[in-house]
Order: sequence, then structure tokens, then C-alpha cells
Amino acid sequence: MRDDLDAQLLAAHAADDRGALVRLYAEAGDAAEVAGDRDRAAFYLTHAYVFALEAGDARAEGLHVRLKGWGREE
Amino acid sequence: MSVTDLSNVLKPVSQARGLPNGHYVSDEVFAAERDAVLFDTWAGLTVGARLPEPGDAVPVTFLGLPLVAVRGKDCGIRVFQNTCRHRGMILVEEAGKVGNVIRCPYHSWCYSLDGDLVTTPHVGGPGQNTHDEIDRATLGLIEIRAHVWRDVVFVNVNGNAPAFEDYAADVIGRWAEFEKPLYHGGPESRFQFDVACNWKLAVENYCESYHLPWIHPGLNSYSRLEDHYNIEAPGHYSGQGTLVYRPTLSEDGRKFPDFEGLSGQWDAGAEYLAFYPNVLFGVHRDHAYAILLEPVAKDRTIEHVEIYYAAPEVAGTEWDDLRQTNAKMWYGVFEEDVFVVEGMQRGRHGLYFDGGKFSPAMDGPTHCFHAWVAQRLQPPAAAAE
Repeated sequence: MRDDLDAQLLAAHAADDRGALVRLYAEAGDAAEVAGDRDRAAFYLTHAYVFALEAGDARAEGLHVRLKGWGREE
Repeated sequence: MSVTDLSNVLKPVSQARGLPNGHYVSDEVFAAERDAVLFDTWAGLTVGARLPEPGDAVPVTFLGLPLVAVRGKDCGIRVFQNTCRHRGMILVEEAGKVGNVIRCPYHSWCYSLDGDLVTTPHVGGPGQNTHDEIDRATLGLIEIRAHVWRDVVFVNVNGNAPAFEDYAADVIGRWAEFEKPLYHGGPESRFQFDVACNWKLAVENYCESYHLPWIHPGLNSYSRLEDHYNIEAPGHYSGQGTLVYRPTLSEDGRKFPDFEGLSGQWDAGAEYLAFYPNVLFGVHRDHAYAILLEPVAKDRTIEHVEIYYAAPEVAGTEWDDLRQTNAKMWYGVFEEDVFVVEGMQRGRHGLYFDGGKFSPAMDGPTHCFHAWVAQRLQPPAAAAE
């Protein structure tokens, strides 16, 4: 993960900013997917999905579709 | 002492003695009563007003059992064991919004507000949220049987009581006229007393009017002893009623709006029932309250008082002064009872106290409660003797 993204994620965790957590973990997942690392992408997207689910964030649905499509979610 | 040695309690009030000391000072009896009196019945846990919106949750440790009441998307209230099915972590620590799901703070297993297990992150390894041995359908939250009546969330922890409508049919019928929407008064209409007594003493004191002129001299001006009557429904509830309840809340004669459609009985009448085991109700033509007795230990109880009105506008600012006056009045009345219940608790350490001699005329409602407790604790064989 890029250092700047890592720093932003830590800050979002510290601030308990759920919206930012969804965005940043999804960003990390996208980057890992582009790099061809499906396992790592699924790891980050799982975090994005959990925080989106908890917040009732509409992005949860799309994240669920992606994870399920990879056989990572029911 | 034996919890089955209750034959004197079950005699008619004129010959009976009260529950023996052990029912107030013994850990063993407290545990027995937890199961037979509080977990086998419908006990009050919390009130709906504490979780007004979907996604609101209130954790309650009820006699050591971690529970959480949750308002679902359908606006219904469910009660779950507040324990994650994974590693047994407490799920909800504080009252408030849990959001769209209940997420365990440990490994982030997520449950819907209906208790279904929704996701199990990384359960099959990093980024793999499924596993053949993880059957989400069988790993939802443990739901506790619950029912809401008069905004009180009742639970039958052991799941073995009759349906609430049957269990409470008698009192529901008695107060059918009050089956109306209740509107919580707001922050000043909720207060607590942390009292050093067994929860049953709060029930017993609430049941009877005998003590009113001595402990609550202020009532003599607007709700005198001679205006009261006993209420006894063996096996269900007991308490007292008054034919005259006319406090002056406002010098200009302002009054709260009444519950609609009440009969003339309630023009000046009011009733106060201990609904067994642990909820104390009061109804008047213009307001009502519930007191939930939270048994913390054999000698410690938290009394949660919640006051309700007949119309939603009463919670607004224009009623602030009257609402505060009413809440202050009840706070004062209930506070006057604290030294009594705490004194009776200390008195139960008197080795030679025999449970107490009842006044056949005045203590019927209290004896009614004692007999109910005794019947619940009495094994069938012993009860038949």
C-alpha cells in the first residue's frame, strides 16, 4: 500500500471516519487489483465492505457484488 | 435455609408470615429466584423510549446475563444475547446507534438488526470471507423471547412462559381503557434510584397503601389513605388504587391532555400495580409511568422510572414547566421510599425475624406477591402437601 494511503487510513481509523474508511479501503483494493494481487484486493475490499455495511453506506452493495463474484463472500 | 420451606407464606394472609430472611440476604436463594421468578416469567428489561429509532440499541446486563435490545428496520424491538457467536465478545457496550448492522468489535463479524449473521470477514483466510464449516444460517445471534407492552420491553429468558398476551391477560383487561399510545416525557421524565435492597422489597412497598400517610405525608392533601383500595390478582399482580388523585401541578389550573375515551372512574381515580415480577406501573387520566426494578444483587436494586403522557406535544417546550413539576413530584414521592426499603433490607439480617406478621386488612397486596414468589419456588410435590 502506498505510504500516503496508509497514513490516510490510519487517520481515518483514529477519527472513526466511516465514510473515509470505505473510500480509502476501496481505493487500496482497487490498486491491488490493478497490480494483479486478487488476494490483497479482496482483503482491502472486505474492510471497505464491512465499514460500508455498518454505516448503511450504499457502496456496500457494489462491494458485496465484487467480493461474491470472486468467491470471497456469500 | 431451604427455599422450599415456605408453607407459612402460602397460608391465608391472616395466618401467613412473609418470605423468610434468606430471600433477601442469601446468594443461594437469589440465584434460585433468578431462575424461577425472573427468568421463567416475563420480566421487564428496558423501555422502548430508550431506543426510539431503527438502529438504536440498549445493552442491559440482566442478573448477570448480557442482553441487548435492538430497534429493527421494521421498528420492532428484538432482544438478543449480547455475545458474539465467534469468540463470545460483548457486542454492544453502550446505548446508542449501532448503525445498519451490529459489528463485533473484535473480528468484525456482522449481524443484521434481525440477528442474522451477515458477514464473517477473513474467516477462511485473508480476503476470504466464507468457509465450508461456517454456516451463517446457524450462527445468528441468540434471540431472547421478548414482548413490548406499555412501552416496557419484557423478556422471558428461559423461553418457557405462556405467551405474553396470556400471561398478562388479566392486567391487560383491567387496564383496557389505557391501551393507547404512550409518549415519553423526555429527559426529566426518566430518573433512577440505586437502592441498597433486594428488588422484592421495592415491589412489596409499592403494593400497599398502608405506609402512605407515614412515609408520604404530602399525599394526605391530595390522595388520602381512606380513598385507597387494595388490588389483588393472585398469580398475576397486586397493588393499590385511589378514588381521589388530585394534585395541583399549576396555579393557573393548566392540565395535561387526558388519554382519550376514559370512563368516569378515571376522572379522579388512579391505580398502581406491581406486575409480577419486577415492573411497577401507575396510571392516571393524564399520565402514566413504569418503574423497572433491575435486580443487581441480593441487596442492590436500580429503580428505573419512566413517565409517559397521552399526547406527543406534551414532550414539547410549552409543557416543560408542568412536566418538570410532575416529574419532581414523583421523584420526591419515590425518594421518600428509599430509606424504607433499605431499612427493611438491613432488618432482614435480624436472625429472629420470622418473615413478618401481615395486617390482614392492609397487607393483602404484599402477601399476594409473597405467595406468588413462594408458589414459583415451591416444587410441585411440596406445593401439593
